[in-house]
Formats: sequence, C-alpha cells, structure tokens
Amino acid sequence: MIRLTIRNIVAHKARLAMTTLAVVLGVSFVVASFVLSDGLRSTFNDLSEEITAGIDLEVRPTSDFGEPLPLDIALVDEIAALDGVNNAVGFVEADENSVQPVKADGTTISTTGPPQLMGGWIDDPALSSFTIVDGTAPDELGEFSMDRDAAARNGFVVGQSYDLITPLGVMEGFDLVATTSFGDNNTTVGATLMHVSLDQAQTLFGTAGTVDSIGVDAEPAADLTAVTGDIQSLVGNTGAEVIDNATLTAEQQAEFNEGITLVGNVLLGFAIVSLFVSIFIIYNTFAIVLGQRIREMALLRAIGAEARQLRRSVLGEALAVGAVASAIGLGTGIALAQGLTALFAALGAELPSYPVILGPRTIVIAVVLGVGATVASSILPARAAASVPPIAGMRDGATVSGSTRRRLGFGILLLTAGLTTGSYALFGPSLPTLGLVAALGSAAVAVFVGITLTSRVVARPLTAVLGWPLGQMMGPVGDLATGNAGRNPRRTATTAAALMVGLSLVTTGYVVGESVKSSVGQLLDESISADYFIGDSNESGFSAAVADDLLSSGQFAALTGERVDEVRIGSRVSELSAVDLEALDQMIDLDVRAGFIPDRDATNVIVVHQDLAAELGVEVGDAIAVEFVSGFTASLEVAAIRANGAMFPRPLVPDQVFDDAGASTTDVFVAAVLPDGVTTEQVAPLIEELQATYPQISIDTPSEVKDQVNSEIDGALLVLNALLALAVIIALIGIANTLALSVYERTRELGLLRAVGMTRRQTRRMLRWEAVLVALFGAALGVATGVVFGWGAVSALPDDTFGATVTVPVVQLGVLVALATVATLVAAWLPARRAGRLNVLDAISQ
Amino acid sequence: MTVLDPSPARVGASGLRAASALGVSKIHGRGDTAVHALDDVHVDFAEGQFTAIMGPSGSGKSTLMHCLAGLDTVSAGQVLIGDTDLSTLSEQQLTLLRRDQVGFIFQAFNLIPTLTAQENITLPMDLAGVKPDQGWLDKVIATVGLADRVAHRPSELSGGQQQRVAVSRALASRPRIIFADEPTGNLDTATGGEILDFMRRAVREMGQTIVMVTHDPAAASYSDRVVFLADGRVVGELCEPTPDTVFDGLKALGN
Repeated sequence: MIRLTIRNIVAHKARLAMTTLAVVLGVSFVVASFVLSDGLRSTFNDLSEEITAGIDLEVRPTSDFGEPLPLDIALVDEIAALDGVNNAVGFVEADENSVQPVKADGTTISTTGPPQLMGGWIDDPALSSFTIVDGTAPDELGEFSMDRDAAARNGFVVGQSYDLITPLGVMEGFDLVATTSFGDNNTTVGATLMHVSLDQAQTLFGTAGTVDSIGVDAEPAADLTAVTGDIQSLVGNTGAEVIDNATLTAEQQAEFNEGITLVGNVLLGFAIVSLFVSIFIIYNTFAIVLGQRIREMALLRAIGAEARQLRRSVLGEALAVGAVASAIGLGTGIALAQGLTALFAALGAELPSYPVILGPRTIVIAVVLGVGATVASSILPARAAASVPPIAGMRDGATVSGSTRRRLGFGILLLTAGLTTGSYALFGPSLPTLGLVAALGSAAVAVFVGITLTSRVVARPLTAVLGWPLGQMMGPVGDLATGNAGRNPRRTATTAAALMVGLSLVTTGYVVGESVKSSVGQLLDESISADYFIGDSNESGFSAAVADDLLSSGQFAALTGERVDEVRIGSRVSELSAVDLEALDQMIDLDVRAGFIPDRDATNVIVVHQDLAAELGVEVGDAIAVEFVSGFTASLEVAAIRANGAMFPRPLVPDQVFDDAGASTTDVFVAAVLPDGVTTEQVAPLIEELQATYPQISIDTPSEVKDQVNSEIDGALLVLNALLALAVIIALIGIANTLALSVYERTRELGLLRAVGMTRRQTRRMLRWEAVLVALFGAALGVATGVVFGWGAVSALPDDTFGATVTVPVVQLGVLVALATVATLVAAWLPARRAGRLNVLDAISQ
Repeated sequence: MTVLDPSPARVGASGLRAASALGVSKIHGRGDTAVHALDDVHVDFAEGQFTAIMGPSGSGKSTLMHCLAGLDTVSAGQVLIGDTDLSTLSEQQLTLLRRDQVGFIFQAFNLIPTLTAQENITLPMDLAGVKPDQGWLDKVIATVGLADRVAHRPSELSGGQQQRVAVSRALASRPRIIFADEPTGNLDTATGGEILDFMRRAVREMGQTIVMVTHDPAAASYSDRVVFLADGRVVGELCEPTPDTVFDGLKALGN
C-alpha cells in the first residue's frame, strides 16, 4: 500500500503541485510572522539589557495612579554616601517627543517613527552607556548633545545653534556641543537621543530640585540586599521603591514586547486566514483527483483492499504533500518576513534590523499547521473514495457523492450558529479582547463553512444569471462556459468559497472604513461648529500660551483649550478634561439631557456623560469626590448630564479646578470658532504666525481633520488589503487549479468540441470565462457576507462617534469585483492555453 | 416515411469526389521499430455515396478515417477533402474545415452534457456564427423522430436517442462528408438498425456522403460500397454489399 501511495504521488505530482503551493503560501505567512516577532523581540531584549546596563539598583517614586511626583534631589547625595554604594546619580528624562530639535531648514524630525528622547547627562560611565564622540558633554544652560547617527541623519552639526521645541515653548539658541554614542555601536534603533545638563533638564522638562529616579552603582563586593534595606529606610514613607537590575531589564523588555507581540499576533491572524483558504483548495483538489481515480479505487477494492487501507493511502498522500509543503514553507517564510519588513517600511513604519531566528516553536507550529491543514482537508474525500463499491469499477459513469441533504442541513446549522455567535459577540455583554476576537473568529469560520455547504443550492441558477450576458456576447462559447460553471454545483461552491473568504474580509474593511469616514464627517459637519482644531502629534501637551495668544487676538467668538490629567473617582482611575465650559457649549452640541452648562465663572462643577452618571448613580446637583495625583481632593457638583460623548469625551471641569489642584498646565487640544461673517482668510496671518511660533502643533480646519481621518483610514485599509492579498492569491491559485483538473476530467468532451469545429481560441475563451463565472460567484458571496459583517461591526460601534451611519462603498466594491475578474482571467490563462493545445485525436480516443 | 427534400447544394453528379486519399502512408516509430499503420493507400470517396471501411483490428481503418478527417497527419501522400489538400492547411484552417465541411458521429460520448439536444445539433453552426436553416433543421429532427425530446439534456436521453441526436448534428449543417466511427457499436440491434437506416436515407435522398468505419457485417450491408483494409493496405472492395458477401469478404482477409 505504501508503494502504491508513493507511486500515486509521483504519478500525480503535477496535479498536487498547486495544492502544495497553496499550503506553502499559508505556512510561509505563519513562519514569517514568527520570524518577524521573534527577531524583533531578540533585538529589543538585547537593547533593554544595554539600556539598563550598569545600574545595580534604581530608586523611583510610586503612586497609586497617575504620574508619580519626582524625588527630592538631596536624596542622591544621601544614597551615594551609604555603605556599599560607589555612586548614585539622578535621572531626569523628558517624555517621548516632548522636546524636539528644529533642523537647520526649519522643519522637525517626524514623530511617526522612532521617538525623540532627551535626558540629563550622566558623567559616571558605570551608570550611563553614553560616551562623547565629538565635542564636550553639555554642562551649562543652553547646551545640548545628540547621538551621532541622529545628528548625521538630520544634519545637526557640532558648534551650531538650534531651536528646541519644549513643553515651555520654543527655546532658541541651543548650542550643539557634542555628538554621543550609546554603547560602542550606538544602537539607537532609529531613535534620536539627546542630552542636556542636569540643571537644564530640570528647568526644561523637570521640576527644580527634583529628579525622576535615582540610579545606584554598588561596590563590587557589596551586599545588595543590605544596600536596598538602607535605601529603603532613607526614603522611608515617601512611597519610593528600590528595584534591582534584573527587574529593571525585565520591565523594559516587557514594555517593548507588548507592541511586538501585538504585531506578531495580528500577522499570525492573517496567516491563519490564508491557511484557512488553503484548506478549501486542498479539499477541492483531493475531491476532484480522487473522483478521477474511482475506477482504480474500485479495482483495488475488488481485488481485496480494505476501505481502511485505501483511506490510509490517501491520507498518506496528504501527509506527504503537507510535510513537503511545510518544509518548503519554512524557507519561503523567511523570505516572506523580509518582504513584510519591506512592506512596513514602504508604509512608513521602518523596523530596526533583526536577526533571523527560526526557533523550534516556529518549526513545530509551521509543520503542525501545514500537515494538519492538508490531512484534515483530505479526510472527507479519503473516506468518500475508500467507500467506493467494487462494482463501480465496472460500470460507466460512477461517481462519488456524499449525502447531500445531510451536508446541507449541517451547513444551515453552522450558518445559524455563526451568525448567532457573531451577534452575541458584537451586541451582547462586552467581552475581553481575547474573547471577542475568538468569538468573532469562530463565528466567521462557521459562517464561511456554512455558506460553502449551502451555496451549492444557488450555484447553478446564480452562475446561469451571471453568465447570461456572456451567452449574449459570445454565443455558444459563452453558453458552454456558463453551463460548465454550474454543472457541478458542489465543486463550484467549494472553489468559489476560497475567494469568498478573502473578498469578504476586504469588503468588511471597506464597509467599516467608509462608514467610519461618513460618521466622522457627519459628526464634524453637524455637531461641531468650530473653525480650528489645534493638537499635537502625541498628546504630550503644548504650552497654554497657544490658547492665550489666540484669545488675546480678539478675533475669535469662542475658544477653549483642554487640559487633561488623571484622577481617581471612587475606586476607578480615569481622566478629566479642564475646559472653558461656556465657550465649549457654543461650539459643540453636547446634547444636554439634564441641568445646564454653567458659565465661565462657575467653580467646582463637573459635566458628565449619561453613561458615567448612571454608573456612579448621580444626578444633577449631586457631588462627586475627585482625587488628584498631588493628593488634592475636590468635591464637584454635577451641573449637567450630556448624551453626546463624541468630542471631548472625558468628564468636563472648569480650569479653576485644575489650577487649585496643581494639575497639568499644558493643553492637549484647542478648539476655536470665528464670529459670523469672519472668514478664515481674514485670520490666516495670525494662524501662520502661530504655527511658526509653535512648530510642533498642528492647526487644522474641520475639512482638514476630515481629510486626515480619511487618509488614516485609507492607510489602514491599505495595510488590511496587503495582508489579505495572500489569501486572495491562494484562492485564485485554487480557481486555476480546479480549472486545470476539470480540463483533465473533460478531455474527451473537449476533444469532441474541437473535432466538430471549436477553434483553439474559442476553447481557451470558454475555459477562461468558466473560471471567471466561478470567481464572480465567489465574489458575489464574498461581497454579500462582507457587507453583512461590516454592517454588524459598525452597528456595534458607539452611535455618537464612529457608528452613526452604515455606508456601503458601492464604487470601491465594484472595482474590487472587476479586479477579481481580471485576476481570474490571468490565473486561468495557463490552464486554458494548455487545454487549447490538446491533441484532438488523443483527446477523443480516451 | 417522409421523403426528405434533396438539398440543392451538394448533390453532385456521381463521380465528383467528396474526399480522397492518394498514396497515403502513416508510419509510427523509426528504422527497425517502424510500424506502417497505413501503407500507400489509394481510395476515393464519391459524392452521394455511403462507404464502409472494414478490417480486423490493427488494419488501420480508424487511422485512415482520422487522416481523412484531418485529425491526424500523414507521413506520405495526400489527403483531399473536395479539392483541398489537407497538408496545406494550418491547425486553425483544419479546425474550420472540420466545422464547416465535415460531420462526425462517434461510437459514444457524442454529445456535450451541458447542452440540450437542440443545442447539440446546431453546435457546429453556432460555433461558426451561422444561422441554421430552420426548415431543414425541423425536417431532420422530425425524420429521426426527436421532435419531442429536443429540449432535453443528453443525460435524459437513451443511448439510441443520443445517437440520433448525433446523426442529426452531422446532417444539420449539410457537410461535404460525414465520418462515422462504429456509430452503432454501443446500441442494440433494433436501435442500431434505425440509425443506419437514417444514414442510408440521408445518402439516398439528400445526396449526403458518408464514410463509416465498422467491424459489423450487418452494419456494413447498409452501405453502397465496402473497402477492406488489412495491415494498413487496401486489399479489396465490394459493391452493393449484403451481410453474407461482407462476411465472406472478411473471412477472405483472414487467409
């Protein structure tokens, strides 16, 4: 039996080639996602160790919530004086991208890539891996340094003066006094690393007399536990903690890994989609190929082979195909990882270089998935083939058919189960992210398989309808193509299903994207009457002087900044926004359901969303206790309850509350509206001057915001489609494969057609359009399910922000279907050409 | 039985050739292993004649028919359909020749399963983009007795009905010559007899030219002339055959 299995594989290797290709592609994607994430993880783990190298202990403040208050700088010397401590230094670090150097040409370094970081310069080489490459370390106010690669990349030259954008505003005339290197190789992973003197750091982004944390270099023979204890008693009840190097490194690694794991899991998700599509192809191939070998199977049964042995032989073929494909997939997966890296770079997210790691976990999973998918898809065809009765070998026209009604019933069951699970996941009680993904994923699988099993019922009528224009345009060739597309409904359904999966997900993306775009557009048009929105790229805040400048110009009818800080309300930690409530009310329809928006002078009031009010069980007039990071507690009276949470979604308080609490003084957002009759042209000079003074903020009109949202969504859709492209390609391979196999099956019939006068060109055309009709069937199913999925997804989004309207982008979907048609014509070109080349005589003699 | 109208087009004075093989040889292999499937075959097929080609297996009768129909190439000699030398035609031209001037009836698998009987009958003309003569079509269909089955698919027809569809298709476009390869091989005697009767009537009453390959003396007796092949050569001819004379002729081949 084994010999027969191997001979069969060799004899049919051409037919199994496309199946192998489908599995290879699916496995490659899985391998690529692991190679990428493992490689990146390795790079960043190494980087983490470099970052924390030399720091034996770190002392840092803690807080229950929000940003902890910094440590008193006096602690540094006290700790340095302890037994067993060689040296202690204070770290002062700016938030990511909150200090940006202005290049010689006046532009800033893009903030969408690796971050720009600045800290106080540490002299002690035991506690800092930075060394001076050129120049001298920053020592006085007005001096700064930059790592040598960032300097070279962006044209910063030692000895020149530059402007710095800081949370305090633009600071001019900073001298670049040195270029530095982080470690021997300056492994910055593309980031821009800058330093100023400690004093400068405190004024620019810290607080005078404080440091963010303290690094400790212990003596070589010191007992770290004792030192830790000593430090602990020093800091006493200030709530600071002492952590060792291992913990520090682990924390840093975990921080990096969070992002890497997310990317890796997303890629893996798409890889599994591709593999899922491969399963359709494999099943179809085995079903067709075994159907062609019925006589042989029946003969074997007649001479005494057991059904079990035949089944095992077929599964053995599948196992061999799966194993070979997985092995190839390991290699191509590495290549695909390079491809994905290039794709990310092209989309603007440059990844650092990483080592190629093909870990045992990767190999095992790839082989298990590859072999598993192949074998699992061949189980049903194997069983059907093995149960052929011996007599079938002697009769003409014997076919293998499963119990159609049972499969139909099962399909309907799956479809219903899938739709129910999906609805529950979207509209039922909210689930944790993992549960939501699992529920939606399995719901989608159930729907897809259910449709595959049930769509055969409509395969013939639908292909007849779709093919009617072909008959009109191409005469008998078109009619033959239409007839062929529908003559084996089950095969048509399975082949089309592969394409349905990919196109369905693409369609869902388009529907959700378009709906969000129009919802946001609607929001901007209807709920907001502001003329300008001002923000910055990373919500770290900008100076309140921006809002002040605008206000003092007197040009605006209403204007408000937004300050944000973390607070504790009851047991939950959340954020508050401090705004000019009166001005906000003029610009935004908050849809107040109870109470009134207080005027500018009101103190200690709060406006909450009705959901929060319900959660806290408060009404207008009740008091809410709010605790700030500084320890300050405020009792705020609920002045109004609103229903529109789209803009300024956090609970709203007047500026006075933040002032009293010593909370954040920077704005994250400013909205301003011009008086009636004043146009944006009239204030253009003011706006331009503002932008020049504060280069890091972005000043946008509502239509510009709409454009930005649109282009962001388009960008996301581009990535989505790129990741789904592989699944669609596999489906097209499947269509070509099915065509090739069915040409083989129909050799005699094709010979007959050629004998009675069908030309080669007519034959090729008939076969190409036959494939197109199957693809269109799949596209129709895919678009229909995608619209349903998209509608469900959008309906589950909150009404007041992204879920307002469901828009079906008909034009884009039309283009998608047209592209699928063209792609199918290309995919079918080779099998059709080979069919046209059939030797007529050989064909009719079969 | 209705009398079919003679077609004005192709009825020729006897003596006009529908097809000829002139010194045709077909050799498989080379040198020592060369096999002569056909060896210097000369045979003419006059218009309006029903010719049967007979011989034992390996005699080359099927090969001769394939070469005459342009489905296979010859190693030596010429094949003419009308006055056209097939060796001068490209593959495309051969296909069009088959479409427009040749009709086929095979032993089995004559029909396209996805087309109705009607569509199968008009298939060559549809492929050519030519509108069939409806009157002629109706007559042919009525004559073979398929009028009530034309809308059915082949899977819904009996073997005999399928062969009748095949015959109708061959007749419908009034080709210069029809080649039939064991057309009654899969049918019972009565049904087979009906098919052969149609074919003979087509020749007698419509001036159709038919060349039939068969091994069955009874089938051959329907023809006007039997050509005997053995070892790739023409070894004999028999005019006005009857089952007995045909049988004797075959026996003589064995000696």
